[in-house]
This record gives sequence, structure tokens and C-alpha cells, in this order.
Amino acid sequence: MFKTLAGRALVPVGLAVTGFVVVCCLLLYSAIRSGVNRYAVTEATNLADTILKSARYAMLKSDRETLATIIHNIGQQKGVEHVRIFNKKGVVNVSAKPDELNRQLDKRAEGCIACHSGPVPTTTLGTMEQARTFRNSSGTQVLAITAPIYNEPECFNAACHVHPASQKVLGTLDIGLAQDSLASSLAIIRTQMIIFTLMTLVLTIGGVTALLRRSVFLPMRRLREFVERLDQGKGPLPDKPPHLPLDLEKIAWSHFRLVQKLHKPEPNRTSPE
Amino acid sequence: MNSQQQPPTTASRLEPDVLERLNQDIQREIGRLQRLSNRGLWALSLFLLVCLLAWRGFPFLPPPDRVVAALGKPPSPQVISIALLIYIFSAIILSLSRMTMAMEHRSSFCHVGYLTGFFLFYHFAKALDDNYWAVIGAGITILGVESYRIWTYCNEAIAKKREDLEYIRTTGHLPPEN
Repeated sequence: MFKTLAGRALVPVGLAVTGFVVVCCLLLYSAIRSGVNRYAVTEATNLADTILKSARYAMLKSDRETLATIIHNIGQQKGVEHVRIFNKKGVVNVSAKPDELNRQLDKRAEGCIACHSGPVPTTTLGTMEQARTFRNSSGTQVLAITAPIYNEPECFNAACHVHPASQKVLGTLDIGLAQDSLASSLAIIRTQMIIFTLMTLVLTIGGVTALLRRSVFLPMRRLREFVERLDQGKGPLPDKPPHLPLDLEKIAWSHFRLVQKLHKPEPNRTSPE
Repeated sequence: MNSQQQPPTTASRLEPDVLERLNQDIQREIGRLQRLSNRGLWALSLFLLVCLLAWRGFPFLPPPDRVVAALGKPPSPQVISIALLIYIFSAIILSLSRMTMAMEHRSSFCHVGYLTGFFLFYHFAKALDDNYWAVIGAGITILGVESYRIWTYCNEAIAKKREDLEYIRTTGHLPPEN
């Protein structure tokens, strides 16, 4: 394969084009996935902020029943896997799932460690740092956002509350959204890109192969067959070489004239006897 | 049609010790080319070893956060990906150009270094999981084309040297182009 002209011409081209297209598609898919994930995190963070703003008045008034109703109703929404509010100590105060109430959360758990990794917890996190993804007990891929509930002047100045002004974070809202639709969209994009890559490769490699075959390999084969026929000397000499591309035609004519000269009887040569 | 090149007259035959030295030189050159022809495969093997380390998250390196704290923020994954794309394009063009010009150029191992650099940048930017296969694809493509180029160059050169050797042994003269 590597010794023939076709092999030598097509192997490096095929390898280079295939590799380059595959790498481009991998990088493109990675960029699309990263963009889609960033968009999903931004949307989830906005949703968490909306929930916090909706529940703000109930929290300010310490109206636990209204707060529990808001959280419960949000938890019923399709695609929402969990919604819960932790207090400063990591105990679940409000949750859409009643069995989670009063459960203590480990500060080393995923979603908590981002702030609680050092001796003094971090009070502010970027949008992407607030997000984590995991597969829950029911096997659903979940994107969870942990949004801090900050202590505001209305909180520490309110008559009913006891939070000191020095306490920056009062608790956290944790919301988990199912990623099934996002995963299926990414799977469709991935399939489309694989099909697109294969089609591009078939067209490119096929196009190069067809052009090389038409312009180089077939004329070369005809030249080789013509030269072999002349060399074997079977039958009469053809009138002229076959029609070939200019470069090959020159070689064919050159060889043809040489063979013609060899076959022509020399007039001056006399028999030795 | 077999046309054999006629050797020069016996008057210009080389001395036996010169011939022997020439023989040894050509044999040594053939050996060097045979070693060189495997260079691409060695580079590919080294790259696969680096891939294995990257797959395991470079366990011998300090964690990315500590490196970022010491050296500063790495470029964003998008910038690294653009650099990778430009690199693979340039490397393929360069390799195909060297193939066209039949140049002897030993560039395989430096590509392993560049690709390891891309692995490290992605690792410290915490984007290696998303871009691991892209770097592997780039590495296999570049090193594959380079291996093929070196291998074909060496095979052609070895065939030529063997022809020269045969010519010297049979005729006792230097090959015509020498």
C-alpha cells in the first residue's frame, strides 16, 4: 500500500484531513458544551435569585408557613429536583421534601466545600463557583446552585430578628434542576456533528481520491500498459501513443520513438557472412 | 527495456582501502537512517505515555489551585483551544511542506513537548476533561503525519544508499552523482 503511488499520495492527505477535521469538531463540541453549561448555570442562578427575592418578605417577617408554601410550590415545578434553605449551621430549615427537614449537612459535602474549605468561610462566590453537577439517588443528572442569603440592614434592624450586623450570611438556598433536556440536546448536537464530520471526510477524501485517480493514476496506468506492450513486442507497433496529459504524453512519445528506431532495419548494416 | 549504466574504465578504480572505508560509511549511514525511521514511533509512544499521565490528572504535579496561586491565572480554555487549532494547522502544513521538499528534519519530539504544554495549560485552567480528546486527536494527527514523513524519507534514502553500495561493490567506482 505504501509503495504504490496511490498509497503515497493518499495516506498523508487522508491522515492530515481526517485528524484536522476530527480535532476541529472535538474543540467545537467542547466549546458548545461549555457555552450551553454556562448558560444553564446563569439561568439557574437567576432562578435562585428570583426565589430568594420572592421569599424575602416572608423571611423578613419570619413567616415560616408562607416560606414553606413558596418553597413547596417551587419544588412541584417540573424539572426542579430539590429546593431547600439551610441556616448558618447547615441544618435544613425549609425544604420541598418534608423528610429533609432538620437534617444537618456536612460542610465538607460537595456544594459546601467551595466556601467552607478554609478556616474562615468565603462569603461571596462567582456565578460558576456556585454551581455543581451530580447524579442524584433517582439517577437524574442535576445542576445545583447554592445561593447565599445575605444579612441586609432590613434583617439586622428588624425588631423580631436577632442577627447581629457582623453576620454576613444568614443561610443558603440550594436548588437542583434536572439536566435531562440539556443532556439530550447535547446528544443531538453530538450526533449531528459526528454525521457532519463523516460526511465532510467522505467528501474530502473521496474528492481528492477521485481527482487523483482521474488526473494521475489512470493516465499513469495507461502509460504503463502502453510501455509494457511496446517492451513485450507482441503484435504490430501502434500508430501513436494513447492520449494522455501533456507531461505523460511526452514520456510516451519519447519511448515510442525509441522503440520505433529499434524496430527500423538499419540500411548500412551488412550481414557478416 | 533494461538499460544498464556502464561503469568507467578500470583505470579510475578506487583503492581497496578507500572502497572499504566508503562501504563502512554507507553502512553507517544506512544504520543511522534505520534508527531515524523509528523516531516517529518513539515520539508517538512518548506522547501516549503523556496522555496516560494526563488521563490520571498529572498526579505528580501540585494541584491546579496552588500553581495558579503561584504563577497567576492561566489563559481561558477558549484561548487555549484557538491556540491548539492554529498549532495543529501550522504543524500539518509544515510537515506536508517538508514531505514535498523531501527534507530530513527531526521534529517529532518537540511536538510531544508542545502537546504536553497544551495538556498542562488545560489542566491548570481546569478544562482538561472537556478537551482531553481534542489534544489526543491533534497529537495522533501531527505525530502520525510526521512519522509517515520521516519513515518514507528514510526508506527512500536507505534504498538509494543500498543501490550506491551495490554499485560500489560491483564496479569498484563511486556512484555517478558522487
